[in-house]
Amino acid sequence: MSAPVQQRRGGYVDRPSPSGLADVVELILDKGLVIDAYVRVSLVGIELITIDARIVIASVDTYLRFAEATNRLDLYEKGGKDLGELTQSLTEGGAKGKTRGALSGAKEKVTELLGSDDDEDEGGEDEESRPRRRPRARQSAQRRRPQRGDDE
Amino acid sequence: MITSVDSWCYVFGIVPAGAPVPSSDDEGPASGLRLVEVGKVAALVGSTAADRGLGRAADLLAHDRVLAEVLATGTPVLPMRFGAVVTDETAVQQELLSAHHDHFVEVLESLRGRVQYTVNVRYEQDTVLRQVLDEHPEIARLREADQQTETRAGFERRLRLGELVVRALERLRPTDAAAVLEELGDELDFCARHPTSPDEVLDAAFLVETAHAADFEDRVEEMGRRNAGRLRVRLVGPSPAYDFVEDV
Repeated sequence: MSAPVQQRRGGYVDRPSPSGLADVVELILDKGLVIDAYVRVSLVGIELITIDARIVIASVDTYLRFAEATNRLDLYEKGGKDLGELTQSLTEGGAKGKTRGALSGAKEKVTELLGSDDDEDEGGEDEESRPRRRPRARQSAQRRRPQRGDDE
Repeated sequence: MITSVDSWCYVFGIVPAGAPVPSSDDEGPASGLRLVEVGKVAALVGSTAADRGLGRAADLLAHDRVLAEVLATGTPVLPMRFGAVVTDETAVQQELLSAHHDHFVEVLESLRGRVQYTVNVRYEQDTVLRQVLDEHPEIARLREADQQTETRAGFERRLRLGELVVRALERLRPTDAAAVLEELGDELDFCARHPTSPDEVLDAAFLVETAHAADFEDRVEEMGRRNAGRLRVRLVGPSPAYDFVEDV
């Protein structure tokens, strides 16, 4: 994704211009009117040599990638503490000190860390722990049709 | 105009009859661009060689380029999905246009003066990972455990760490996605796509009145500003309403 970034309004948003291949793939692959529904007899069943770039699976690769990203984090709490010592204390002493258990405490810390005044990170703990398998775009439940409700 | 028995009609989309035709490419689906008209509607078609196949990067870019250029003139466009190929112009007229003429007229009218924006929001990775570690003691503990991948136990711990992080991100997502949607205007027509990566918060297409496009862009910018440091925001558009025509 190497399209030049246009930052004409304040610079907080990437606006590729013109769109590079990655953006175009995201934008058009699997999107648009499906011609099969309209043309049945003279449709050419051409084989597309593209891949569905939007398929993602919670795979081993993904897990390893995020494990490595997490391991790479240069944590502010670590200070000069020796890794072995830290591991030891965590193993033996449970979560005390480092992790403070209570979500509200953690949240306060995150808010402070981010300098954010938003309050959008509440409670993942008691939500369902399984990943949501949402339908792909065409079955999206949030979808609304343009031709209805034209009067918005 | 290139038409021969060895070429097929690549259909870019449906437009009103008399719509402007973008410049053609020398080869590929956007060569020999022309309108095939029936009544008030037309198919914007190019010629694609029967033995060529489709799906090169250039083909995808051409598909997008042609439709974007039509849209940029203020013409409503009903974009086809990439790869719509019909044997010849007669088939385009009879099977596609004549058979669905009134329907296309109606849909084009509903798309007139509206464009799609696609907003992609991701977590700033380090920021969100710190949040995950702060909120999940068990993940923080696991992070400090031995994860030497030379041993089976270490490898499994690393895998488990990644899995827990991914799960934690998936639990964060709905709240953040809802907040972003609300800020961008959930009164708009929008279509949220399935996230493709654990650190993706939202990937949604919005159908916006051209008259309000600048306002929408400002809203996205403001959302990006408010969440700077925590979320990365990418805005693509204006583009044809790819996400809103799938089963019109």
